Amino acid sequence: MFNNYRLATNIQRVFAYAVLFILLVITIVPIWLLIVNATRSTTEIQQGLSILPSTHLVENYNILLGKGLDLPRGFGNSTFLAVASTIVTVYFSMLTAYGIVVYEFKGKQFFSNFIVVLVMIPMQLSIIGFYQYMSKLGLTDNYAALILPLIANAGGVFFGKQYLESIVMQDLIDAARIDGASELAIFHQVMMPLAVPGAATMGIFAFVASWNNFFNPFILISSLEKYTLPMLVQTLRGDVYRTEFGAIYLGLAATVVPIIIIYAFFSRYIISGIAIGAVKE
Amino acid sequence: MKRLSFILSLLVVLSMLLAACAPAATEEAPAATEEAPAATEEAAATEEAAATEEAAADLEGTLNVWAFTNEIRTMAIAFEGLHPNVDVVYTMIPMTNGEYQTKVKAAAGTADSPDVVALEAAFVKEWVEADLLADLNELLPLTEELKTFPSVVEVGSYEGVTKAYSYQATPGAFFYRRSIATECLGTDDPAEVQAMVADLDKFVETAAKIKECGTGDYFTVGTPGEMFNPFLANREQPWIVDDELVIDPMVEEYVKFAKLMRDNGYESQATQWSEGWFAGMNDTLKDANGTPKKVFSYFLPTWGLPYVLIPNSKSDSTDTGGDWAMINGPMAYQWGGTWVGVLEGSPNSELAKEFVKFVALDEENLTNWATGVYTNDYLKAIDPETPDDQAQAPGDFVSSQVVVEKITSSFDGSDLAKWLGGQNSYAAFAQAAPNVNGALLTGSDDAIQRALNDPLASYLNGDITEAEMWTQWLDAVRNEFPDLLIPEPPVTE
Amino acid sequence: MSLSKFKRNYYGYFFITPFIIGFLIFGLYPVYNTLALSFTDTTLMSKNADFVGLKNFTRLFADDVFMNAVKNTWIIWILNFIPQIGIALLLSAWFTNARLKIKGVGVWRALFFLPNLLVPASVAALFFAFFSFYGPVNQFMVRFGFLPEAMHYLQSVPITRGLVVFIQWWMWFGQTVIIVMAGMTSIPVSLYEAAMVDGATAAQMFRRITLPLLKPILIYIFVTSLVGGMQLFDIPFLLTDGRGSPSSSIQTNNILMYMKFASSKGHIGAASSVGVLIFLMTSICALGIFYFLRDKDNSEIDKSARRFFFKKKSA
Repeated sequence: MFNNYRLATNIQRVFAYAVLFILLVITIVPIWLLIVNATRSTTEIQQGLSILPSTHLVENYNILLGKGLDLPRGFGNSTFLAVASTIVTVYFSMLTAYGIVVYEFKGKQFFSNFIVVLVMIPMQLSIIGFYQYMSKLGLTDNYAALILPLIANAGGVFFGKQYLESIVMQDLIDAARIDGASELAIFHQVMMPLAVPGAATMGIFAFVASWNNFFNPFILISSLEKYTLPMLVQTLRGDVYRTEFGAIYLGLAATVVPIIIIYAFFSRYIISGIAIGAVKE
Repeated sequence: MKRLSFILSLLVVLSMLLAACAPAATEEAPAATEEAPAATEEAAATEEAAATEEAAADLEGTLNVWAFTNEIRTMAIAFEGLHPNVDVVYTMIPMTNGEYQTKVKAAAGTADSPDVVALEAAFVKEWVEADLLADLNELLPLTEELKTFPSVVEVGSYEGVTKAYSYQATPGAFFYRRSIATECLGTDDPAEVQAMVADLDKFVETAAKIKECGTGDYFTVGTPGEMFNPFLANREQPWIVDDELVIDPMVEEYVKFAKLMRDNGYESQATQWSEGWFAGMNDTLKDANGTPKKVFSYFLPTWGLPYVLIPNSKSDSTDTGGDWAMINGPMAYQWGGTWVGVLEGSPNSELAKEFVKFVALDEENLTNWATGVYTNDYLKAIDPETPDDQAQAPGDFVSSQVVVEKITSSFDGSDLAKWLGGQNSYAAFAQAAPNVNGALLTGSDDAIQRALNDPLASYLNGDITEAEMWTQWLDAVRNEFPDLLIPEPPVTE
Repeated sequence: MSLSKFKRNYYGYFFITPFIIGFLIFGLYPVYNTLALSFTDTTLMSKNADFVGLKNFTRLFADDVFMNAVKNTWIIWILNFIPQIGIALLLSAWFTNARLKIKGVGVWRALFFLPNLLVPASVAALFFAFFSFYGPVNQFMVRFGFLPEAMHYLQSVPITRGLVVFIQWWMWFGQTVIIVMAGMTSIPVSLYEAAMVDGATAAQMFRRITLPLLKPILIYIFVTSLVGGMQLFDIPFLLTDGRGSPSSSIQTNNILMYMKFASSKGHIGAASSVGVLIFLMTSICALGIFYFLRDKDNSEIDKSARRFFFKKKSA
């Protein structure tokens, strides 16, 4: 009886590892092939699959540049946009969340429910009205149209609220007040340093969201010199580059690899951050 | 309590939305129309100012040019070379899935509006017919001097106003591989091969011969998609007549023909502009088993030669240059072409006009353009940051008959002629160009034709019936043009 | 100088003011503007626009195009959500199972989550390259004898739709695993211990303890996934020709909206009407589910759990 139980457990364990392994292969293989193909020449790619990298990385890069696809500039644009978006999101979300968590004001409950409602409303679907409005303000083809709306980032506030509720220490705030610090100074000098881990997690998500965003910049940005990496990917799929497969894969890899590197360093933050929004509420 | 405030917050959002909507919707329209006269006044004012100054000083200023290829950038650099105080800011956006068309539309009339736009044949009419381009009638006398092909001017004009000019005329041709012709048809002589493909029936007979001779490894064309333009050029009526979509019998003919090519294995099934389609040009096309396949011919117009066929005829290991010949093929046609226009309200309209004049109506520029004067060295001397592939190879066919007559003989024995086994492509295009008919183009061609791509591909592939194909296409057209009358789909067997 | 507590609480308004201003300008007004535009025939190519009442909306229902897009969006979402949540429940159960002792749980989770971070546009372009007619998948399938001859994957409705579903699943199952697992680990072990004493089987425990206590989390996943799924754009847009081909089978709501925006004349009025309808549909579904299922969670679940144990105990 006991042995049977153990046997069943072992069989189940083997089965579980088998499933995990299959899932792992499914997860990793496309990414691996992408990276490998970025180092292979078009001829090699046309000859068949390979799981080992080749030696044509530099060649592919030169083809990309030669075709006028300015990958470094797209990289710079995406980085600028992502960093600016991250700063705006983290600062204003924490500010708003701090207001909700620390103060007891009339309408607080309403406001915090309102945030939850906003999280569940597909605001992106108002993009056409947003576009036309920005075009009247002369803000189309301008990164401001992508960054400023993040002042009111409901998802960020929601996350920030969940996080701050777990770390806010009323004693520290009171102590600072006795020292004569203003309320805003308390937020900046007492709360923000304490909230760094949560802010980092939120920042990583904000960064990735901006880095990966295709739809909004695709509608709002029109001049090629302001194109972000995902928009360049769309042009990569275009006519001009189709004969150069190695270069296309390299272009795709360039959008993906920086994120993988960030992930390799911060995966702990990211994974623990995902559940914060979901579990505590 | 929690639940109550939740409902309340919901209600507030909804009521704010609803309360605000009705009145302002009507407010917006007049506000939008007011902008137009102001913009033209401004343009007129700057025009006057510029005109008086012109005599005194050379051109100066910054010009924003948008285009869907890099071709015009070459001319922009040459323009900067002539006018050192002019800075042309060049933006290239690809036409993939209509991205360029959307971006220009979205930018026109806003603060980001370019000064000069390049417009492709498939959508130039849309712009010429709308009120976003400036009147360029004052340049018309130049077209007489240069004897610009009348069809080129016609395409850029609407109701007596010419708004766009082109440096190209784009008659089409049929390019084939001499080695395959010799092997399968017994000759590579252009006149004899032309006789074998003189009409569609003969073309199909020849396709059968080529398939048999190559034991299935030779395809007559890469894709019948290339032949859409020849069929379209031989329609009786344009796509739209009196706000109604017209399905000309030639469109149905084309569908039948494409199906026949697919079902008999006369085409490679590569999508036009895809890697497989290009691979056929340099003999690197392989099927999924790795078996090499060859493509006998390509339907391409003037620009197809320097921009598509020649650059793709070389791979790491193969070079098909010299093995090609060109003839008229089964049908006369034209395909594509790039027009340039100035956007209404451009603050640099005088400079923009000068640029259009230089690009499309300047004898020296057109001559340089067609004869390969704009080499990398030439361009880098003006702008050291010019990319390496910016040079303009000789052979693009220009819109001025004066220039064409002057330079045709210079292509005898040139590298270009050697690539074609000794033929002078310029002379051949010069013969075909007067037949080009611009009257069939409408502003909606691009959208209507693109909507057919997917249903047709599914039909050819056997995934849907012909009737389903027509329905899907007409639905897509209706969705694109809500105000267009859509006829009943053609009757299918 | 110290403020009275009452006065100090006014600072709450000060802290939330930037959010409210930002929301009014960049959140609410665009929604209102979209709604306003949806009653006009505004285009990008013309400076004139007229109020046309409900014409844009009636036109959407005049043919199958709009309903087809709605249908596609739901099909794609449902087909990827079910396996997503299924796999997540299974893996979470394994990962938290003390008896199985799966090694390296953190590493597995981290790897499964990776696709979620990749640029969706690149992922779509990657799969497009893999599945093109002369691409590597055909090479592989034909050379190893799985297919007699190369096929046009992206012209087949079931394969193309299946690919979108697969990519969506591939990108999101890792995240769902992490959230579900966090929920499972927050369930007190004592509940399971009590049940085990009562001789409950693993399946019983899963059904009567795990699932009910996971309900709030499952609803959270459900709602956020739904809201995201209804706005699906990048993957289907870039996987084929940007029109949702073949046979409009992956033409989602957002693609249809974009197509109206990018149509020949740039019909932003008509595009707005699509946006408005999808906005309403999604909001009603999401908020409805959230409101009806979530608010009663704690009490309900406590009750059902208690009922379960009391029954067992007394039996």
